[in-house]
Amino acid sequence: MSFKDVLKQQLHNIREYGMYIAFVVIVIFFAITTKGLFVSSRNIGNLVNAMSYIAVLAVGMTLVIVIRHIDLSVGYLAGFLGAIAAIALKYWHWPVYAAIPVVLVLGVCAGLFTAFLVAQMKIPAFVATLAGWLGYRGALQLVTVSTGTIIIENNTFNALGNGFIPDIPGIGILPGIHKVTLLLGILAIILFIRGEISNRRKTQAYHFEVPKMNMFILKLIFISAVIAGITWVLAGYQGLSWAAVILLFVVLLYSYMTTRTVIGRHIFAVGGNPEAAQLNGISVKRITFFVFGSMGMLTALAGILYASWLRSATTIAGQGMEFDAIAAAFVGGVAVAGGSGKVTGSILGALVMASLTNGMNLLGWDISIQYIVRAAVLVAAVIFDVATRNRGK
Amino acid sequence: MDPEAEATPVVEMRNIRKNFAAVQALKGVDLVLHHGEVLGLMGDNAAGKSTLMKVLSGAYIPEEGEILIEGRKVHLTDPLHARRLGIEMVYQDLAIANNLDVTSNVFLGREAASTKLGPFSVLDSRLMEREAQRLLGRLKIDIPSVRLQVERLSGGQRQSVAIARAMAFNSKVIIMDEPTAALSVAAISKVLDLVRELKAQGASIIIISHRLEDIYSVSDRLMVMRIGRKVRDCPVAGDIDDFRERVVAYMIGARDDFADVAAA
Repeated sequence: MSFKDVLKQQLHNIREYGMYIAFVVIVIFFAITTKGLFVSSRNIGNLVNAMSYIAVLAVGMTLVIVIRHIDLSVGYLAGFLGAIAAIALKYWHWPVYAAIPVVLVLGVCAGLFTAFLVAQMKIPAFVATLAGWLGYRGALQLVTVSTGTIIIENNTFNALGNGFIPDIPGIGILPGIHKVTLLLGILAIILFIRGEISNRRKTQAYHFEVPKMNMFILKLIFISAVIAGITWVLAGYQGLSWAAVILLFVVLLYSYMTTRTVIGRHIFAVGGNPEAAQLNGISVKRITFFVFGSMGMLTALAGILYASWLRSATTIAGQGMEFDAIAAAFVGGVAVAGGSGKVTGSILGALVMASLTNGMNLLGWDISIQYIVRAAVLVAAVIFDVATRNRGK
Repeated sequence: MDPEAEATPVVEMRNIRKNFAAVQALKGVDLVLHHGEVLGLMGDNAAGKSTLMKVLSGAYIPEEGEILIEGRKVHLTDPLHARRLGIEMVYQDLAIANNLDVTSNVFLGREAASTKLGPFSVLDSRLMEREAQRLLGRLKIDIPSVRLQVERLSGGQRQSVAIARAMAFNSKVIIMDEPTAALSVAAISKVLDLVRELKAQGASIIIISHRLEDIYSVSDRLMVMRIGRKVRDCPVAGDIDDFRERVVAYMIGARDDFADVAAA
């Protein structure tokens, strides 16, 4: 590999790590200015719960943007499906175990309908989902018109957005620390290190290059430290919340799917060059249906998390969520033109945006200023992304 | 291979006709390609070269005529069908996903899986990387790493990836549509070397080009088309200036070897 190639590779890395560095800077800034309040166990726990539904939407939106589309309908669709869940629980007296799967399936159906408009009827996604934005807004008002805000009294359902995973009772050591969370954190670190080492060994066995040993160890230590830190902070309050567990599950599932499976590869191929994908036997239509179907399911999940978090379904639930999700994806390095983006990047984007809101709230900054700061961060992130992308060429 | 199979052409197209609305793009064209042969296909714009190749690669279905692959009559329904029969097309616009790496492009649509679960099959990335590297090595293609994103490669390297992909799956026939268009002189010579390498490894190739020098330097036989008809079919031989003069005469319609066939 020539020097130029090495340099290109480094530029590529800067793009990847830039967002992590920015996030660390933001965390440190708020940790200092709020005198530690920002990184307190309680605040981090709340922050994760408050961002979970946007993060779930951002995961789905990442794939939608990767295949060169957009979905503006997810906000009100989430609100509408949350209201359906609330009605099913409260007025139809459905058990949680029936209401949630049905709402998820409804979400998939809504997503497939969008895909039908986009892939079959050839309506630009912007227009099709703008219609969805209007339509689901109307649908939400329609189902809540007679009741107004629906208060959800089901504790199991409300636990999804507010509750925490149970701890083992009766262990004397480490009082006030959530032991199960701690154990899960240690397990995560062990699995991570084991996975990385076995991956490195297998790659070496095929005589492919691997990063230098010291860089590899540095990476292991850094990521383990991050996991340990987060675990410790969360364990100091009430432990891992259900919302965090759900979010982790979604992230792991989707990053595995996008990076390791055939359909993930095909999604990126369609995003990179639809004609080439089609000529190579990948059905662009089927990928479009799959991606919007998955977006619909995640939208339903976000609607459930949001309704559960508020313990109610309101008449304006979901307003603006679509833009928060899109912003999170772009801040997380998803290319506006499609074809490139990472699920983990979008989650980080959502985390950056949620941290900004949370930190500025703690500092008592005016909401008007908050919007302007978030706007600046969005623009800065995309400028950084575009600049590093072009130089990498 | 027994002599009889050797004598059977790998591809034979007979009397192919294709219309687009009122325009007759192909007016009954015959084409023969032998095993291990490089056939150059030339002609002015709208001569029907690309249309004929799209018929052979299954992208267009002709109104009339038959196609024989190794002596067996086939009805090509779509590009995937043609590909299953061993006909690979390297498109002029490359049909490569620039956002993916070299390995992903070589295996695009034909990924190797370690666990088979339909669309959720788990990619066998290491196997594919190893195979891609082996393929590039075999074809003497100079690309620093199969992990490089294609958008980081030069035009010539990209063309090489597109051609290597066509060779990856034991194809019988490789069709190249203007493989040297929009390339630098150095890149052109590398692509032509690659064509010779493919031929040496037993591939049968049809190459469309309007660069006469390229056809002259790599082809065994030349076919010239003009306004939907074949006007010349001859071995590539002799002095290049002489060759050029004659080919141009056929291309502009000053000469026509098959005029009597057309009239009949």
